[in-house]
Amino acid sequence: MSGVVITGWSTTSPAGVGRAALADRLATAATGDAPPVGATATVPAGSAWPVEPPPAAPVDVTELSDEPLPTPTGHALVDFDVRAHLGRKGTSFYDRATALAVVTCGDALRDAAVEVDDTNRSRLGVVLGTSLGSFRSTSDYTRETLVQDKPYLVNPVLFPNTVMNCAAGQAAIRYGLRGINATVATGPLAFLDALRYGTNAISRGYVDAMLVGAVEEFSPHRAWTTWLTGRPGRATPTGEAAAVFLLTRADQPGWAGPRREAEVLALATGYGPGGGAAADQALAGCVTRAVRRAGVDPAEVTCVLTGETDPDDTDEFGPACAALGHVPARMRVSRLFGRCDAAAGGLALATFLASEPPEPAPKLALLTGRSPDGGTAAAIVRGWPGAGASDR
Amino acid sequence: MNRVVVTGLGPVSSIGIGVSAFTDGLREGRSGISPISSFDASGFPRRNAGEVPGFRPGTLLRRIEAARWGRSGQFAAAAARLALADSGLDPATVAADRAGVVVGTTSGESVVVEAVTAQQVEAGFGAMDPELLGQVPAGRLAHAVSTELELAGESLTLATACSASNYAIGYAYDTLVTGEADVMFAGGADSVCRWAHAGFYRLGALTADACSPFDRDRSGILTGEGGAILMLETLDHARARGARIYAEVLGYGLNCDANHPVAPDRASIAACMRAAHRNASIKPEDVDYVCAHGTGTPANDSVEAQAIFDVFGDRVPPVSSIKSMIGHTMGAASGFGAIAGTLAIAHGFLPPTINWANPDPALAGLDPVPNTAREANVRVVQNNGFAFGGNNAIVLIGAVE
Repeated sequence: MSGVVITGWSTTSPAGVGRAALADRLATAATGDAPPVGATATVPAGSAWPVEPPPAAPVDVTELSDEPLPTPTGHALVDFDVRAHLGRKGTSFYDRATALAVVTCGDALRDAAVEVDDTNRSRLGVVLGTSLGSFRSTSDYTRETLVQDKPYLVNPVLFPNTVMNCAAGQAAIRYGLRGINATVATGPLAFLDALRYGTNAISRGYVDAMLVGAVEEFSPHRAWTTWLTGRPGRATPTGEAAAVFLLTRADQPGWAGPRREAEVLALATGYGPGGGAAADQALAGCVTRAVRRAGVDPAEVTCVLTGETDPDDTDEFGPACAALGHVPARMRVSRLFGRCDAAAGGLALATFLASEPPEPAPKLALLTGRSPDGGTAAAIVRGWPGAGASDR
Repeated sequence: MNRVVVTGLGPVSSIGIGVSAFTDGLREGRSGISPISSFDASGFPRRNAGEVPGFRPGTLLRRIEAARWGRSGQFAAAAARLALADSGLDPATVAADRAGVVVGTTSGESVVVEAVTAQQVEAGFGAMDPELLGQVPAGRLAHAVSTELELAGESLTLATACSASNYAIGYAYDTLVTGEADVMFAGGADSVCRWAHAGFYRLGALTADACSPFDRDRSGILTGEGGAILMLETLDHARARGARIYAEVLGYGLNCDANHPVAPDRASIAACMRAAHRNASIKPEDVDYVCAHGTGTPANDSVEAQAIFDVFGDRVPPVSSIKSMIGHTMGAASGFGAIAGTLAIAHGFLPPTINWANPDPALAGLDPVPNTAREANVRVVQNNGFAFGGNNAIVLIGAVE
């Protein structure tokens, strides 16, 4: 067991900012008009929790882009305005990914009831996951070197936005967080890798608490990437989100949040060179190691939250079931939030924590991630009852 | 808790590819700066960089097909392949899931991003090549190494800008200390690209021909590139296989300025040094050499030197910058620093700061090891790495006691 607990969290997604907004969206999705479908069908009716909701309809995103989009819809928080949350000062040069991340970090601190001051700021850090920072900021910057009269006529103030650690660095500046500040860039694995990085930083004693999260922004760059690299004609809509959790030691200092909402029991990562069967094996190995380190009975794992995006994709669920020796309920957050790449794992954990089981009891989840090249990751998290749909 | 040692070095640099050529480059004070050839620099007022024109991925890589990976991934994989060869380790003797990789970077697959952006400009977003888009994710830097060496353990890319290699070495060290792995490949990679060249120029941070850290008249960085990977393993593992051990990783320290996106912070950097010393269980007087971040900008070198004075008092060890030779290799920079520091311990010499002509009165008391390498008994090296976002990272490397 890692001995690391979660004392608060927040998400920014098409549902809005904060845990209450997410819980509302999940409740609406679960009781929507369409009947629940998915892997729960393989589990006896009534015993499955959580129930995987039907796919949510994407919204019109055309106002988020001056460029033509491959499709007019996506899973974006179209009316997100960083100034409404943080004001104008210091935010005018944020790109969208940075804004989503900084707003969500602030809300997670608030949710955990953490007051940052000179007694704790050097013991509180940040680690955020990403695919490549803001693809839009980077690509637009290099575009300027091609289209301006002189290739060096770029805006120096925007240069830091091209660097992948921009969001984590700005979160530190905004909230005065002087502990370890890190950025992991492993795309679909990035949230789980950030969770592992943050857990390690706490366990090794480098910090007392970490904001651990991941972010992806909606942009024409990501929308086109999803479209051009996804299945022709039926690519999962592009999504955007930030999800951030406050992690601290189980014997936490008082300032790191009074509540304990969940415990990160174990994490494991691996690689299957070349993907395919090697990655199946690597992911199954991660699940087996995570279950063993967590010290839980695989039969207790009743819920698997995967990063799978295509309707018939079982790249994660298949190896997970093989390793667990049974077929638990599956939850794919992509059905509600589209393709969120690095943020998918964070949305999965938030969805797990925001969902209340029918009977109040500790709940156990397996989270999985997998990258096209063969990267794999698995986490076991135990949630405690009564913390879910709180509106704090 | 395991002790962690360095047993393999893989530099792919502008002053030499492979440990032997790189060592010679450091000893000779070679310059790796040349006119930019990887992109059309004719419209820029500054046209030099530390490219690695001699990099022939096909001659170094055995498993991955270079065309399927971006230039930074190729640098990382080639550097790791060299580090493995240098270590003498037979990979078949290590359980595949007990060996992993952590790669640090600033700009990831920047050359690929530039290529798809050129396609956008040319013919619209829909004209971007799906194969190239698949090469864009920065996570592929570590994955390139894992694929090349067939490693089934952790495959992590850390994007903490110009101190990222120190982050990578630190995290790999932790996985070895805690017994989660037996062997780890750690370091960084980045490629010279137009946008960074333009951005640094517009920040006023780019110099013309020669980078001269700690010189009175220093005027900025030169962008550079390459791959720098160290093979780390537990001391027990290294001894059991009879490995040649270069040095020991003593520990590391990280912190964040939380102050300004690009300007360095003297007090914060000093605090990072103290944290690194504490974590490595050493005192300032134990440090024989500081391999500086030393970018060559007036601001960095001044702030870094002042922080060193704050921490070391009247016993300031020699402080040199290998960026004078290879330019600022961004996410690979502190990886090259760690390799240079390891070689300093193993071979008993201090790498020089080349292009140095005039002492800076504001830095009186600093010994930059001017222009010529120096023989010295080096037991402990402090390797500095600082970055945009205030991401400070310092690794301590020592002779094996």
